[in-house]
Amino acid sequence: MHLKYESQLREPLVYGTKTYHDVTEDIVRPIEAKPSKLWYIGFYIAVALLLFGIYSIYRDVTYGIGQWNLNKTIGWGWDITNFVWWVGIGHAGTLISAILLLFRQGWRTGVNRAAEAMTIFAVMCAGQFPIWHMGRVWMAFFVLPYANTRGPLWVNFNSPLLWDVFAISTYFTVSLLFWYSGLLPDLATVRDRAKTKLRKHLYGVASFGWTGSTKHWQRHESLSLVLAGLSTPLVLSVHTIVSFDFATSVVPGWHTTIFPPYFVAGAIFSGFAMVQSLMVIIRKVFGMEDYITMGHIEAMNKVIVLTGSIVGVAYLTELFMGWYSQNKYEGYTFWYSRANLFSPYGWSYWGMMACNVLSPQIFWFRKMRRNLFVTFFMSVIVNIGMWFERFVIIVTSLYRDYLPSAWSVYYSPSIWEIGFYLGTFGLFFTCFFLFAKYFPVIAIAEIKYVLKTTGESYKGKMGHLEHVPAEVFAHSGHGHTIVENDGAN
Amino acid sequence: MSSIKEQFEIPAKLKTWSYALIGVGLLALIVGFITKGRGTEEEQAVFIGTIMYNTIFWTLVTNASMFFICITTLAMGGWQQSFRRIPEAISTMVPIFGSITVVVLLYVVFSGNHHIYHWLDTNAVASDEILKGKSGFLNVKFFTIWTLLAVGLWSLLGWRMRQLSNEADVAAFNGETGPSFIWRNTVRAAMFTVWFALTVGSTVPWLWLMSLDAHWYSTMYSWYTFASSFVSGMSLIALWVIYMKNKGYLEYTNEEHLHDLGKFMFAFSIFWTYLWFSQYMLIWYSNQPEETLYFKHRVQGVYKGIFFLNLIINFICPLLILMKRSTKRNYTLVTFMAVLIIFGHWIDFYQMVMGSISKEHVTLGWLDFGILSLFVGLMILFVAKALAKKPLIVKYHPFLKESIIHHT
Repeated sequence: MHLKYESQLREPLVYGTKTYHDVTEDIVRPIEAKPSKLWYIGFYIAVALLLFGIYSIYRDVTYGIGQWNLNKTIGWGWDITNFVWWVGIGHAGTLISAILLLFRQGWRTGVNRAAEAMTIFAVMCAGQFPIWHMGRVWMAFFVLPYANTRGPLWVNFNSPLLWDVFAISTYFTVSLLFWYSGLLPDLATVRDRAKTKLRKHLYGVASFGWTGSTKHWQRHESLSLVLAGLSTPLVLSVHTIVSFDFATSVVPGWHTTIFPPYFVAGAIFSGFAMVQSLMVIIRKVFGMEDYITMGHIEAMNKVIVLTGSIVGVAYLTELFMGWYSQNKYEGYTFWYSRANLFSPYGWSYWGMMACNVLSPQIFWFRKMRRNLFVTFFMSVIVNIGMWFERFVIIVTSLYRDYLPSAWSVYYSPSIWEIGFYLGTFGLFFTCFFLFAKYFPVIAIAEIKYVLKTTGESYKGKMGHLEHVPAEVFAHSGHGHTIVENDGAN
Repeated sequence: MSSIKEQFEIPAKLKTWSYALIGVGLLALIVGFITKGRGTEEEQAVFIGTIMYNTIFWTLVTNASMFFICITTLAMGGWQQSFRRIPEAISTMVPIFGSITVVVLLYVVFSGNHHIYHWLDTNAVASDEILKGKSGFLNVKFFTIWTLLAVGLWSLLGWRMRQLSNEADVAAFNGETGPSFIWRNTVRAAMFTVWFALTVGSTVPWLWLMSLDAHWYSTMYSWYTFASSFVSGMSLIALWVIYMKNKGYLEYTNEEHLHDLGKFMFAFSIFWTYLWFSQYMLIWYSNQPEETLYFKHRVQGVYKGIFFLNLIINFICPLLILMKRSTKRNYTLVTFMAVLIIFGHWIDFYQMVMGSISKEHVTLGWLDFGILSLFVGLMILFVAKALAKKPLIVKYHPFLKESIIHHT
């Protein structure tokens, strides 16, 4: 029995009276039209930032890591902060595609495509930092454990940094496959509508000759399930291993057992914030309010308040243990270097607390969750906060450790460190603008899949089911008696 | 159209079994008291410790049912409505087991049993800088207040949640009362969840369990304890659902729902393992004596067998057996796995508590199984009674129909 029914108390996921054709029209329109002026402005800004980033990296490669203000004992500064920050952001896409798929959250269909694309771009940005931090970047392939001519010289399998290489490259590969295989039917849709030969050819190649036959759909569905199964542990493993970079050490403030799940929660938190920032803009610019509804925005804000609070519990747990352990080094790190506002980096700790734990609490209020301005503002605040978090962890633990004679001077980034970071914004948005121009930003096929259950006009037709007693409803056989079955499954 | 069985009548056999289990348990309790409860201080500690881990385990496991109701409510879940009266009934055990826990724990702290809680030994604390430093948290007054508050508020907030559910038995909701009903559910569920995070997700496991090793600490500890009790709680719900199905109740619940319960059991078994691994590996890797002391005798001492048994039952078995779709839809196999998981995490709680109280001897024996029998018997009897009090179907719940047509 496969009835189409959804409680009237749930908001529709697609507004308006839409047919399948309308859905295609609405989503493909931005691809077929000429980009707006706004698109060009945004794109050029992104490219300019990217160029600045490239120049910053050129300085780093030509003159060495000395171009950055890293010093003893702060050997990891902005660079690793930015790396962890971007990797964290790169969690939302796959979480939405895989884990929310397993939880059957219908609202994921409105946002999964853009979130997955964002994930891939964010992971690309993240990867830049460890690569260029190597200094002699032409030796980068040394991180791979390949059979080599260097005798017994192997990578250090005991190092979490090496685990990162495996975890992130695997995550990137699977996320890319997931995203792209999801795109195939939609690219074929664009191909079939193409007016020019070139366009038809290019989208034809991109869609791997998708015909939409039953066999294709069957294979597509099984592939999605397999990839969802693979991605689910990957979402957890990537940030878990990033957290191991710190937690396996004996550095006060880094070695704490809660790090893995707390990093994962933080990653989802920042990833959703980034999705939120992009979605609020996309729905406005592309006029997709019917597909990315207030319900979608609200659901994501709920995830933000949930994960923000989980992260909050973790912060307080750490702070508590900094005292409870009665370990004076832990105590110093947590209660002086971090929680003391008047210590050199105290500002960053309280910035983190304010942005990540305190301010998201306004999403307990429905009015705030459904306010676009607040949503956008908070999504930016959260990502500022999550940047602070990584800065706090890295810098406040490194700048003063066991040996007071080795305590470092105050660290602030050089222009090339900042330039590198801005450059990754350039990379991210350049990719994202191109994506928004050439690919359907919403998964057309998946919207069609939920349309007849949760589309506004279709829900309207189910209204009479609300008054049918549960017993009658359950015994109505295959739905012929009381349910209009349109046979569209 | 046959009308469905909405009202549970407790079968005589179930009563007999639960009384028998309680009888065995009481017998074990009395014999245990005579043979160990009046012995040396160490023996007394073993006797009380055995009751302690059982009562804490069952309090947290039954409380997990209310947590399940609350998070599914907050997530606007529909699928669980067809059997939601099961976790509701299980959660009525929280005041009962919670009271036993309060009595046992307060007895321990007020009798100053420092073989259980080393920090109760005033002389030791006075000469130990670390324990002295912790005394702001580890003291009788705070322990008492927080324990009472934790159990009291779990019971109260859970009760309020169940009260609200009664409204879905009375009359159908309309376009106005429906949203208001969902809204009030959300508010009450949020209150419970926040309190749950402040207790089960953080303070309570530190206070009740982690402080058994007064010097040791691990930030992961509470989340680990939560994972252990939650996966057992989900298994307990699955067991009751299957029992009721076998008795011909819960007509709207079928293998689709069971499949999802099975997914919860599978996913949270893996989640538990994830937390287990993260905690263990990080402590093993950095190898600092003040942290490894917790695992030293568990991995290399007499608890070695228990330590690996814990991993085999709670990780390897669910991984291999529950992975398949057909297993999760099979009533017999889910029953088997649910019993195994509950047993496995009971063993986990055993080693968490007794591994700290009795470091040189594994005490697992007739007393443990006897006390377990007491708690299982009480649980069966009172959950059945609670089930018989209300209709089994939340007839007018706005999401019930979604649950009826639920398919995975």
